[in-house]
Amino acid sequence: MKDNLILKKEALQKLIDDLLKDGVRVVAPVRAGRLVEYAPIKNHSEMVRDYINPRNAFKEFLFPQTEPIAEYRALKKGVELDGVLPKALSTVVIGSRPCDAACTASLRSVFTWGADDDPERYSDDFFTKRDTQTTVISIACLKGDEDCFCTTVGIRPDGEDGSDILLKETVKDNFMVFPSTDKGKDFIKANKKFFVNGGEDLKEIEYPQVIKGIEVDAVKRRLKKTDIFDDPVWEALAGKCIGCGACTFSCPTCHCFDIVDELSGYEGRRQKNWDACQLEYFTLHASGHNPRNIQPKRWRNRFLCKFHIYPTKFSSTGCVGCGRCIRVCPVGLDITEVMEELSADTK
Amino acid sequence: MKNREKLLRDKSRELLEKKEVDFIIGYVWGRDKKRVCPAFIKSVEEVENLVWNPMCVNNLTLYYTRKYSDVRAMGRPAIVVKGCDARCINVLIQEGQLKREDVILLAMPCEGVAYRQELYKGELTIENASPKCAVCDVNNPPLYDYVVGEKVDGNTLKASKSIYDEIGKLDETSQKDKWDFWAGHFKRCIRCYACRQVCPLCYCERCIADKNSPQWIDTSRSLQSNFAWNMVRAFHLVGRCTFCGECDRACPVDIPLNLLNQKLSLTVKENFEYRAGYDGEGHPPLIVFSPDDKENFIK
Ligand code: SF4
Ligand code: SF4
Ligand code: SF4
Ligand code: SF4
Ligand code: SF4
Repeated sequence: MKDNLILKKEALQKLIDDLLKDGVRVVAPVRAGRLVEYAPIKNHSEMVRDYINPRNAFKEFLFPQTEPIAEYRALKKGVELDGVLPKALSTVVIGSRPCDAACTASLRSVFTWGADDDPERYSDDFFTKRDTQTTVISIACLKGDEDCFCTTVGIRPDGEDGSDILLKETVKDNFMVFPSTDKGKDFIKANKKFFVNGGEDLKEIEYPQVIKGIEVDAVKRRLKKTDIFDDPVWEALAGKCIGCGACTFSCPTCHCFDIVDELSGYEGRRQKNWDACQLEYFTLHASGHNPRNIQPKRWRNRFLCKFHIYPTKFSSTGCVGCGRCIRVCPVGLDITEVMEELSADTK
Repeated sequence: MKNREKLLRDKSRELLEKKEVDFIIGYVWGRDKKRVCPAFIKSVEEVENLVWNPMCVNNLTLYYTRKYSDVRAMGRPAIVVKGCDARCINVLIQEGQLKREDVILLAMPCEGVAYRQELYKGELTIENASPKCAVCDVNNPPLYDYVVGEKVDGNTLKASKSIYDEIGKLDETSQKDKWDFWAGHFKRCIRCYACRQVCPLCYCERCIADKNSPQWIDTSRSLQSNFAWNMVRAFHLVGRCTFCGECDRACPVDIPLNLLNQKLSLTVKENFEYRAGYDGEGHPPLIVFSPDDKENFIK
């Protein structure tokens, strides 16, 4: 443990202010009323340290809730249309949690398809530009709250996946530094005056308990069966869902969007806005038919997306166990209760 | 509390056994008793799951509005209601959404519920109680088929100040300060529509926020469209909102919707001497025309 990199508490503050001086957008957890949220800060003092997990995922800095993709003007004759290039600010996220960081890989798999040499490869410019411009520095959690269940889905509160640099708190309130990507290593090189060599004992981490009745692989197996669509479990467990966007709009891996034109006078913008499978009109067809006509069917989609579609189509994680959907749900619908129910049922 | 819970189960069992109702809309524990959730109880065996305690925050009348074709298809329900929830039934009756005989009301005399479930640690105090409970005058529900257990002695929370003081304070600020106050809150709105979905009185077949030809309210998250959304919803609830407080509780970004809706309720009370949901007669003032309406706002 001697030859590790250390970032002293005061050095972190200086590092933040230094980045800000250079015009970098620094996103960190800040206090917002009774909540903590990720937001761009103007000074290191805004960043809070006593938080479990912010109410929003930092996803919104890679994939904003609303972003213009084109602008148009109605002329005397015809319409003039201009594409809008993604605005990708150089960004450093400091204090992200390992579960949120892990979801970056999931988002990448949705917004970028195919290998680098695949002629069919698709890459979403907006997401990818922001992703390349963003460095993620996570701080390992010392403990979770009663809704955190990362360990149940195979993610560790001190896991490095998705972070460019992972910081672990030491008993002296400093950080041990673990770069895990080239971007992270380059970041440390470019800011080396803030890091020192040394070794300090780490604070103990209290891992969230793995929920006993859940076996994620069993859930996935169950979801592969075709009769799962009509399983009474959806009505029984998700019948109370009221179809808001609170869970999806808080979830770090939800990625659905809608494209709308918003006109004011003779000028307008084509916007890409978050959408949510929980909303009634998400699947409404132009004919008036809605294949997901009642809420349990919409909720079933949300669950299938996380535990079937993500893993089979993208080989990535659809749920990182951050617990946000549980915390915000007005009717107390707990996704882990459904996972447990489906784990038991592996016939 | 425990006794009331037992009486609730007894009555529910009886209603199901006698086939007076097809199912009960009530509250049950989630796993490990972490939280209380709404549930549809269809069989006598499940009746033992019903609970009653200050974590029973949801307004369950929501589930029998026309948004829930699947719940309505289950037949005639008995709904577990607090006094404040029962007020919504009155409004729904006034607005032709329900007939009184469509539902059986299992009315719970109530001394208050938690503002948010996680605040409740075994004792309800004025600090962790919902703001609606501090000013409650329907502790003994005004509308019921069966009252479950003894009546309570009215409001026992003894609040020294209430949401109306907060509204009063806000009223005294300048127009600019009011704008800044609400802009600060609305700019955080994530347009999840939890406020609408949780409201028993937001039962429109297609909400104006979902109409897209034309698009009345932009779906983008911007201050302008967030204002439009929140103001439109508030206006649509004027004189109808019963202060069940559900929208405020459900908002994931903590926008103080109670302040907005109760300001409007106060305005209705001052101008029309009307408070929503106290009986099922008549109509909310803003959906009717009366020659006696004051017109002193026309200058
Ligand atoms: S589904 Fe819920 S717990 Fe899983 S990542 Fe999304 S918000 Fe977090
Ligand atoms: S699960 Fe909960 S948060 Fe998600 S849509 Fe349903 S009611 Fe809303
Ligand atoms: S407002 Fe009254 S009836 Fe409603 S929960 Fe509070 S105390 Fe009970
Ligand atoms: S507007 Fe809010 S407080 Fe009023 S009835 Fe609807 S959910 Fe209840
Ligand atoms: S619940 Fe809150 S965040 Fe969601 S739409 Fe309503 S006001 Fe906005």
